[in-house]
Amino acid sequence: MASLITCPHCGTRPKEEFSIRGAAAPKRPSATAKDEDWHRYVYVRDNPKGRYQEYWHHVAGCRRFLVVDRDNLTHEVFGVTDASDFERARTAG
Amino acid sequence: MSINLLQRHVLEDHISGFETDPNPNHLAVVRRPVIFSVLAHAGHEAAVAEALKAASDLAPRFCGPSEWLAVSQTVGAETIGGLLSNIPGASFADQSDGKVLMTISGPSVRKILAKCVAVDLHSDVFAEGDSANMLCCHVAANVARTGADTFEIIVPRSFAGSVFDELMEMGREHALTRGFSD
Ligand SMILES: [Zn+2]
Repeated sequence: MASLITCPHCGTRPKEEFSIRGAAAPKRPSATAKDEDWHRYVYVRDNPKGRYQEYWHHVAGCRRFLVVDRDNLTHEVFGVTDASDFERARTAG
Repeated sequence: MSINLLQRHVLEDHISGFETDPNPNHLAVVRRPVIFSVLAHAGHEAAVAEALKAASDLAPRFCGPSEWLAVSQTVGAETIGGLLSNIPGASFADQSDGKVLMTISGPSVRKILAKCVAVDLHSDVFAEGDSANMLCCHVAANVARTGADTFEIIVPRSFAGSVFDELMEMGREHALTRGFSD
């Protein structure tokens, strides 16, 4: 099964054009946050099975960071948003 | 810009030697295209896009949000630079010596490109005038449709040899010929 990701800027593209950059859900602590917070952010990550949000960098296309909402078991894709829109929606909500 | 880069095209060795008349399926390498990269400042995205579309002697190629390549085969870099400096909210840089422009055309062009890119190039989804960055022969390239059976491919200079060879190989069964266009 071909893994196709529909980039909001470029259209439907093969996964080879992207670089997967890890889970999008953990929030980056502030620069002055405690060491424990940074340790948790950098090293303590879940390894979920099923639906989750992940950063995908469209390296060979628009070079934007995207957030892909997908199931990592079935590879069903539920949505793709630009990472800046994702961040704006997260801070607003 | 080194004089060697100007005088000697990077694909010179790939194209030298036995030359035939172009077949219907032909890959033309443009010797000295003018290629600028253009970025729009925040808040000026739509205005810069409009200005690029309206500019004469210049074809904008979409790269990503608020980023384009400005391509010209008719006027020089000074003219394009002057034109771009008149667009408010745009930053630009001359990339002409770092990019290679190829034009592939002919009745079998879609069949050839189907083996080079993993993107649907049907005219319903990739119409004349459309352009985008995509992997072409494993290299991040900008591909534009400039006619029903004509596509322009812009690749970084250092990858041009590999992309050129692969395009020629994929076009072999369709008797693809090659040559400089000027
Ligand atoms: Zn993209």
